[in-house]
Amino acid sequence: MDAPGQENLSEALDRLWTQFLPLVNERIAILEAAAAASATKRLSAEEMEAAKSAAHKLAGVLGSYGLPRGTQVARELETMYSCLKDPGALLSAHLASLTAELRIIVETRK
Amino acid sequence: MTRRILIIDDEDDIREVAGLSLETVAGWEVVLADSGAQGLARAAEHQPDAILLDVMMPGMDGPTTFRELRKNPITSHIPVILLTAKVQSSDQKRFADLGVEAVLFKPFDPLTLSDQISTELGWE
Repeated sequence: MDAPGQENLSEALDRLWTQFLPLVNERIAILEAAAAASATKRLSAEEMEAAKSAAHKLAGVLGSYGLPRGTQVARELETMYSCLKDPGALLSAHLASLTAELRIIVETRK
Repeated sequence: MTRRILIIDDEDDIREVAGLSLETVAGWEVVLADSGAQGLARAAEHQPDAILLDVMMPGMDGPTTFRELRKNPITSHIPVILLTAKVQSSDQKRFADLGVEAVLFKPFDPLTLSDQISTELGWE
């Protein structure tokens, strides 16, 4: 059984999650737009920078909400957007796959 | 023992989760600032027992804020812990070389954040 403080924290975290979910969704939307642009070879430097920043912010917070896999996936995306100059078809597919996984992780948080 | 912690972070969600964690789990008093400039003012005004300082912020970043805190005799004695999502070893060494008391990594566990701070600062 959880200690009272732990129970309160868990409930309060759930409230914060609900409060900040629109911000989380906004950041994932940036990643989805970047992955889509990458697939059509139209990923601009600005989109890449925005995607890197969104991934960095998600990596820093998702684990605190009990989503360690979310942090792991977001960190991988951040690394990819930091290193990529010209993503080929294979990497674009990987970006899309990771971004889709991130969306599912967030949507299925209980 | 009740402590007063200043959290300086430009990201609303991180600031709120950290504040909630320290208030709920440890019963500490929390002061929030959303920028380096606001953090400098709040540190001087509230005289916290420690400062949790984000590294990457627009405008005045964490390292610059830390140097400004150290320059001011009113805030120079306050222990500073950097909070960062950067995990590369080169970044870690760069942060440690600044002279901060400790570096903690995001994402933190809200349940143990206060324990981590206490351990790093040698608080009972």
